[in-house]
Amino acid sequence: MYILSYLIKRLGQGLFIVAFTSMVIFTLLRVVPGDPVRLIVGGMAPADVVERVAKDMGLRDPIPVQYARYFGEVMLGDLGRSYVRPQNGMIVSGGQFIDPTTSNMATVSSLIAERLPLTLALGAAAIFMAITFSFPLGLAAGLYPHSICAKLAFFVQSIFVSIPNFWLAIVLIFYLSVQLRWLPALGYQGPSYIFLPALVLAVEISPVLIRALSVSIAQTMQAEFVTEARVRGLPERRIILGHGLRNAAVPLMNLLGIQLSSLIGGVLVIEYIFDYPGLGQLTVMAVANRDFPLVQGIAILTSAVFVLINILVDLASFSIDPRVEL
Amino acid sequence: MAASEQSPVLCVKDLTIAAARTSRSILDNLDFSIQPHEIVGIFAESGGGKTILSRYLSGSLSAGLEVLSGETLFKGGNLLGGTLSKGRRGVHNGREIAFIGGNPQASLDPTIPVGMQLVEKLQAVKPDLSHAQAKQKILGLLDEVRIPSPRNRFYEYPSQFSGGMMQRAMIVDALCSDPVLIVADNITRPLDVTVAQQIVNLLRKMCELHGVAALVLSSSPATLLKLAHRLLVLQSGRIVETGPVAQVLKSPQHAYTRHIVDSTPRIWNLAKELALPEAKPDADDILQAKNLRKFYPVRRYGVTQKGVFVQAVRSVTFSVKAGESIGIVGESGCGKSTLTRMLAALEITDQGHLELLGRDIASLAAQDLKKLRCTFQLLLQDPYTALPPRMSVGRMIEEGLLIHGLGTASQRRAGVHKALVDVGLDPELENALPTGLSTGQMQRVAIARALVLEPKLLILDESLSALDQMEQGRMLALFTRLQRERELTYIFISHDLAMVRRVCGRIAVMYLGEIIEVGSNDSIFEQPRHPYTQALLSAAPTLEEIPATVRAAIVDGEPPNPIDIPVGCSFASRCPRSMPICRDIAPVLVQISINLQVACHAVTAQEATLGSGETKHFENTARAS
Amino acid sequence: MDATVYGPESAPRLALNKSPARRILEAAVRSPGFKVGMGVLLLLLFAMVFYPMLSDVSATTINVRARFLPPIGVGDKWIWAHPLGTDQLGRDILMRSVVGLRYSLFIGVASVFMMLMLGCGLGIYAGYRAGWRDTVIMRITDAQLSIPMIILAISILGVSTPTVQSIILVLAMSGWPLYARVARSVALAERSMEYVRGLEVLGASHWRIMLLYMVPTILPPIVFIAVLDVARMMIFETILGFLGLGVPPPAPSFGTMISDGRKYLINAWWIASCPGMFLALALLSLNLIGAAFERARNQVFGGSDGSQ
Repeated sequence: MYILSYLIKRLGQGLFIVAFTSMVIFTLLRVVPGDPVRLIVGGMAPADVVERVAKDMGLRDPIPVQYARYFGEVMLGDLGRSYVRPQNGMIVSGGQFIDPTTSNMATVSSLIAERLPLTLALGAAAIFMAITFSFPLGLAAGLYPHSICAKLAFFVQSIFVSIPNFWLAIVLIFYLSVQLRWLPALGYQGPSYIFLPALVLAVEISPVLIRALSVSIAQTMQAEFVTEARVRGLPERRIILGHGLRNAAVPLMNLLGIQLSSLIGGVLVIEYIFDYPGLGQLTVMAVANRDFPLVQGIAILTSAVFVLINILVDLASFSIDPRVEL
Repeated sequence: MAASEQSPVLCVKDLTIAAARTSRSILDNLDFSIQPHEIVGIFAESGGGKTILSRYLSGSLSAGLEVLSGETLFKGGNLLGGTLSKGRRGVHNGREIAFIGGNPQASLDPTIPVGMQLVEKLQAVKPDLSHAQAKQKILGLLDEVRIPSPRNRFYEYPSQFSGGMMQRAMIVDALCSDPVLIVADNITRPLDVTVAQQIVNLLRKMCELHGVAALVLSSSPATLLKLAHRLLVLQSGRIVETGPVAQVLKSPQHAYTRHIVDSTPRIWNLAKELALPEAKPDADDILQAKNLRKFYPVRRYGVTQKGVFVQAVRSVTFSVKAGESIGIVGESGCGKSTLTRMLAALEITDQGHLELLGRDIASLAAQDLKKLRCTFQLLLQDPYTALPPRMSVGRMIEEGLLIHGLGTASQRRAGVHKALVDVGLDPELENALPTGLSTGQMQRVAIARALVLEPKLLILDESLSALDQMEQGRMLALFTRLQRERELTYIFISHDLAMVRRVCGRIAVMYLGEIIEVGSNDSIFEQPRHPYTQALLSAAPTLEEIPATVRAAIVDGEPPNPIDIPVGCSFASRCPRSMPICRDIAPVLVQISINLQVACHAVTAQEATLGSGETKHFENTARAS
Repeated sequence: MDATVYGPESAPRLALNKSPARRILEAAVRSPGFKVGMGVLLLLLFAMVFYPMLSDVSATTINVRARFLPPIGVGDKWIWAHPLGTDQLGRDILMRSVVGLRYSLFIGVASVFMMLMLGCGLGIYAGYRAGWRDTVIMRITDAQLSIPMIILAISILGVSTPTVQSIILVLAMSGWPLYARVARSVALAERSMEYVRGLEVLGASHWRIMLLYMVPTILPPIVFIAVLDVARMMIFETILGFLGLGVPPPAPSFGTMISDGRKYLINAWWIASCPGMFLALALLSLNLIGAAFERARNQVFGGSDGSQ
């Protein structure tokens, strides 16, 4: 019963956060210099056409009015339509005159829905690789802090964290794809195209995982109840698995929840480099094309995901450790 | 009580343990044995090696220590599996030999219910038991140790268990594997006196019932007197005296034992007459508390619960006259800390009012309250956490002057200087950092910091609890001198009855957010009226015979949850003298005689039946004391 | 009668008792990781400051005749004047890397400094005052965190010409929540300490306690996070450059150098790799220093071995 009211409270706060974020992005897009209409109708269009189109699109109204309108539409489920991507899927290059208010533009929701699965696949693959690699290493480093494993973990972590992700991407593309032709690099034509981007992303997130896990485990194993457990007769394996990992999970999850932000940033860059047709690439192009509705829609999606994941993390922490203050 | 003639359960010969690579021995040629069903006590001062011995027996001696010599036999066979190497965990841990430690709250995983962990342990040491069988046995034991509603508490978490309850659970943890020997290390240290008394009796009873031998390590001679059959006294890691416990403590042979017995504070047979500070007859009230109340809302799952409160302080009324020393005693959960915060104007009471020097705290503007703070100060328990880290002593003491903008730089220096001298510290310590000073010195710095504002009232919150006996004596002498020189008034808040006995002219006893008895020092200690006061006094650790007027009244169970206090007298559920009215109407403080108020229906009824003849008797004794 | 006076002779030599911060510093300095990291960093700083003064090679002048010269020892067309070779427009790569490092470090340090100020200020306030102030600030932190840095960057920087100031601003805005959280948790723990009670009783105001007492307490954990963050911000700056949102040309930035060099990986791999290695060295040294501090801190605070 109480969990329900807590959930409602957090979701309400989350809604507020998402709304606030979307308002910030909305305003930023319109405040920073650069007129989207120019880009859309093309450099050739005469000034009065530009003005007319802008007025029809509502871009000359005061920003709060624009936002109120937008917010109302979002609440009804309408994320708007793209400024530049028509429904048939091809972007018309500049020079040609198009009127976004008349032609049939793709809806933001459909564009996002189209690209989302690929990004999710990439993210899942990267997380899977990172965990498979980091978990044993971090665990061993935490349990045996003076062993070779710990030193190895530290070494790996230092190296990985010093490599910029795109640099690694370039090097890997060059060697594995161009020179050795083992793996495909750019674009997407099948599941094997996920591998390289996921690998680079995994290298980016591993150091944090390793460090968080080893620190968390090391601290937990020093707790008094752990030494007491040995004296009480519990076997070591049981202590590590049933108690050590359990207690270390809470701070770990919290940290990972915060890291989500960087993960999203990493996905963006990786998709851009690898020309991977996911949400990240869509975002980069949307900003370049001043495609406001698309950027706004993606921003709402990202912050909603972030909020939800953090709520889940808090709930999961509470289910493990009842002392957690919600 | 006679030990049987079978072979000993544990036999330690010539054990010497020292810090690695030095010759500084911590335990020196220890040699003793424990017979089946026997309870052997070892006394050593804090830091005297008790925990080290316990760790050694469990095979988990830390890396900085080495076993230089000795052999330990358990049931005839070598204890640590044939070698003295530490690192080989004792195979009997949790099985034949069970350990109970001095920090019950930290002994179990805080994220798993207590009952499940006990079952886990049982199944780990006795794998052939099914889950159901193990659970059955644990529930049975939980009931035996008098944990109420064991079926419900089975699923509760360690944070929901009080210290006493947790220690009972740890006793279950120890007994469930049917051990032959229990090693109990300082098990009563963190507990309140009434709870400690219960645990001591419980352990003794369980050992007798289950036929288990025990090794009890403690730094409290009073605890050992009640618990052990035989006693070993350690001085600097060496056994200096041994024998039946009553004999050793009543007529000690060795000088050290005699010293220990003499240093144990007396409550009833005082060595000399008390010279207690008394207020002048026409002195004003320096503090007046009327119906103080403080309830805290309860939050669960991040939501504040409506209508549910922690009733920390329910109704406190008393006054303090200038120049006197009053003590407020009570156990954990009685509301002392909340009351202290209210008296120090850190929190405002929900109802009623608090007057300091005639001014109502709640009605003061922030500026005026700040100025008033110069007249009363608070001294806390642990000087290490109570003083800011990383600051020089002189700067710390100066803080009060800086906050109130009193004096120029040179005047402030002079003030700091004077304060240091007044508390008996060398003024050269001005530039010292706290890390180098002893606890006693630190506490004096804390006093200097409070005194620099020239207050009239000092509230001392467990200020002596962190100090050893010798240091306490010196500190009390300091307090007496300061009181005389500066005409101070003291409010002592403590759980230490022996200390309060020595210094306080008047004493108030708190239970569950209320004051249930207020009286003069003699009245409280020699003729306690309220059943709780009697129980409290009878549980106070002492080597003396408890006088008949106190009666060995042991209360069972624990105080009710401050969230869920029943109607009527809050003590009724545990009171040996409860009457039907006690469950309906909460008693209020009734003036029994000039200097005595008690909140108890039974006492009020008794006084009424005694009639006027007895009243005269009380008046006489009041005038005489 | 209490006649005892405690003098300096009864307290152990006070000079030997160092504050925890001092001990952490000393432990960190002694570790090999710190020495290596510091050595490399000092070398880089030295090069950064002095090399442009010593060499008259320009970082921006285009010299079409000297295009695609390889570094020393590679191939047969290298010359001493360009130790690390030249890029597709004939500009000296070593000089560009050094100048690029200047921008990188400056942006890194400046942005970390800003987020430190903002984050710690808000965090201490939230943690110490608690209650609704805490909730509000934490939700603002959540809101900021839910905007990934990249999105913020391309929203602000992608639509007009980026400048060093705007890059620093974007980085600082995306990074302060971490500091706020850390400062808040320390302040939350500190506020329930007894000495804060003592200060309140003396009459200290909230601001006094926050400034004089909370701030020095949060500094040790924050400082070592800050060192590691300088490295992190340098990477971000490079990523921004890579995406075209960095310091605008002709100023050299690691990101643009690597981005441009991508096209020539097969024939002139040094254009992308050399700046990359420079950057990696800088990052590695910062990480080693930061990690040395963290190790030292764990050693000083947690390393006790449970004696009696």
